[in-house]
Amino acid sequence: MRKLGLLLLVFGLSLGVAAGAQTIEKVVIGLSAPPRTMDPHGSDADSNLSIMSNIFDGLARRDVDGKLLPGLAVSWERVDAVTWRFRLRKGVKFHNGNDFTWEDVAFTFQRLKDPEVSEFLATGNLVKSVEPVDGDPWTIDIVTTRPVAWFVQNLHQIFIMDKESTEARSRGEVASYPIGTGPYKFVEWIRGDHLTLVANEDYWGGPPPVKKVIFKEIVDSFTRLAAIETGTVDIIQDIPLELFDRAKANPNLSIITRPARRGMFLGMKQTPDYPMHDVRVRKAIYMAINVQELIDKVMFGHASPAAQIADPPTVGYNPEIKRFPYDPEEAKRLLAEAGYPNGFSVTLKAPTDRYPRDEETAEAIAKQLAKVGIKVTLDAKPKAMYFPEVTHHDVELYYLGWFDGAYSAMRTFTKLVHSYDKERGYGLFNAGDISDKLLDYLIEQSDTIVDPELYVEWSQMTNRIAFEWKVVYIPLFYLEDSYAVYKPSGIKFTPRPDTWMTIVDVIQP
Amino acid sequence: MGAYIVRRIAQGLVVLLLVSFICFVIFQYMGDPAWALAGRYATPEQLEMVRKKLGLDKPFYIQYLIFLRNALHGNFGMSFVSRLPAMQLILERLPATFELALMAMLIAVTFGVGLGVLVSVAPNSPASRLIMAGSLLGISIPTFLTGILLIMVFAVDLRWFPPFGRGEVVRIFGNWRSGLLTWDGLKHLILPAITLSTYQLAVLLRLTRAGMMEVLGEEYIKTAWAKGLPQRAVLFKHALRNALIPVVTMIGLQFGELIAFSIVTETVFQWPGMGNLLLSAIFESDQPVIVSYITFVSLVILFLNLLVDILYVFINPKIRYV
Repeated sequence: MRKLGLLLLVFGLSLGVAAGAQTIEKVVIGLSAPPRTMDPHGSDADSNLSIMSNIFDGLARRDVDGKLLPGLAVSWERVDAVTWRFRLRKGVKFHNGNDFTWEDVAFTFQRLKDPEVSEFLATGNLVKSVEPVDGDPWTIDIVTTRPVAWFVQNLHQIFIMDKESTEARSRGEVASYPIGTGPYKFVEWIRGDHLTLVANEDYWGGPPPVKKVIFKEIVDSFTRLAAIETGTVDIIQDIPLELFDRAKANPNLSIITRPARRGMFLGMKQTPDYPMHDVRVRKAIYMAINVQELIDKVMFGHASPAAQIADPPTVGYNPEIKRFPYDPEEAKRLLAEAGYPNGFSVTLKAPTDRYPRDEETAEAIAKQLAKVGIKVTLDAKPKAMYFPEVTHHDVELYYLGWFDGAYSAMRTFTKLVHSYDKERGYGLFNAGDISDKLLDYLIEQSDTIVDPELYVEWSQMTNRIAFEWKVVYIPLFYLEDSYAVYKPSGIKFTPRPDTWMTIVDVIQP
Repeated sequence: MGAYIVRRIAQGLVVLLLVSFICFVIFQYMGDPAWALAGRYATPEQLEMVRKKLGLDKPFYIQYLIFLRNALHGNFGMSFVSRLPAMQLILERLPATFELALMAMLIAVTFGVGLGVLVSVAPNSPASRLIMAGSLLGISIPTFLTGILLIMVFAVDLRWFPPFGRGEVVRIFGNWRSGLLTWDGLKHLILPAITLSTYQLAVLLRLTRAGMMEVLGEEYIKTAWAKGLPQRAVLFKHALRNALIPVVTMIGLQFGELIAFSIVTETVFQWPGMGNLLLSAIFESDQPVIVSYITFVSLVILFLNLLVDILYVFINPKIRYV
């Protein structure tokens, strides 16, 4: 009898999904990029934040549409240009049993400033103080050193750590055994192999339906595909373009794609000694590039056209911005009008190992520009050599991708569009030395706008001016995120825009 | 003998110094790790702060001297990526690589020497010709291709073996996790071990064959045959023992190579060993891990070479070191 009971139990467990029990025993995920550290501040790479979002919570969180939702803070408001007021969630416990309090928040922001442990130095150094309001420990004011309109937009990736256990343990231990408030508790991490998490049944958002999660590191793309073809894992990230058809042909796999957050674009040197100083020349280059051909022929259809760098969930994304049409005749006319009837010579720099088919894309662009008389010398090199040249502004034409982790177009603009200003940290990636007084003003002023609706409209306007009127960059396309799910596992999967594998969001029971 | 060993160790130290110096020269062209470490939105001021903290603001020969001083104290620095001691990261991956190399060596020796003897007996038979042709293939097919083919056939199509990873491991002592003691662990080991062994197997096969052919022509072998000794005794007792000397040397050297060059195999099979770590460290410009790995592997190879030299004396008493 007992044996029969056991048998029924095993049977029941294995049918957990089908029986509509609303729980899934175990999900195995094949990661394309290994976790770097278990310290939630130790890496700002999405591949790492992705894992951390299961173990930790931020004051805010984001859902599968990229919408900002309450996290460890139940609500917030911007009191004045530099003050943000948060109401904290009561009754939350860390995995070690410690209560979540305002002091953990204060500790977290202090820790972000420490270069020994943090890759969020910019965020950490923005925060001046974290204090309770009128002695109420559940209401706090975070004061920034300067007005920052997107401050709260960034908080889904700033994970709150337990002050007591983080201070008491060595740095190595903190980076190996994470203690958070999140929906999953840490079990073990065998570096290079796998990371195991179990459901936190006391999670403030309710017990997570998936009880155990195993993240397997499978960096080689062929092996990752083999892993899901054999059902060794349930879900994989990043199907390589070269193996896409093979994956699609497999009846056991369902392929899920969505536009990536990263927008690819062409930057141009815009100092007066370059032809691209003239907006007509920039527009001519824009119109000489057949982006649909790049998408179809070079990217095998795995990209979608972009009219701006920001993607739809980003604050400041403006759906009204339209691409200039592909029109080589008009491009030639614009070049002639600008004084270059026979075109000119220019160097196009691109990385060879950073983005999917980066070198091939640059090659195709060079050929397209040749058709309107612009003679392009291609200079493609490994990213380790390419990126220092970009940050030293040693470029003429260059191929780059960008997305904003804080979902703010204006934050991106402070790095990519604002005139270079070392002191204030503006324009570090403005490799083309764009220097436009109007845009500088619009970008700087945006941070002082307290009214959220006005801020959105301001950002959208600035974005539109930059791309339609000033043509500061030539947007090309958004890359594509891809996933494969092993159908017999019965798992329903919805990807997030930021590619995070936040299990409570991406897997539906 | 003693003086010889001391001289060899001194030479080894010079090699180590050179190797680590070359690492530091290469680092100058690997990109600035401060960019990754400060975060994309860091200001130039914050970047400078990170460089100072890591000592990257100093000229590279100073960085190198600091590295030497710390290395002498057993401190190889913190990984830029995981912010853990670099040498610890390497050593925790050692069991996986060691077991893989051991299994690969076992396969290479068993089949390399075995087939080598077989081929030497009947060098002109069709089977021998096939084996020799196969050995050429083993030498020339790139490792990653062998790995991918094996995964495709034996993991994806036939489902005999798992496609990647190390499977179930048991902790034997300290942090040494072994996959040799579980059925699952062994199943995971087979394909990567075969992949890693192909090249060495082919080399050993050809070496054994050449040695055997030479020895089999000697007078004392003819005497052994004439005495009417059974074939087994002639082949293994008389011939193989003498043909084995260069083979043993090769095995010793190869084991070091297997540990050092398992990078490709480990990557294809996502084997959580040192080679795998090195590749991701190179990808992320994690300089402390790279230099620790290279130092460690150089040490292993130097040690194995020395060991082979010493063993030589015991195998062949005719050899003397002065």
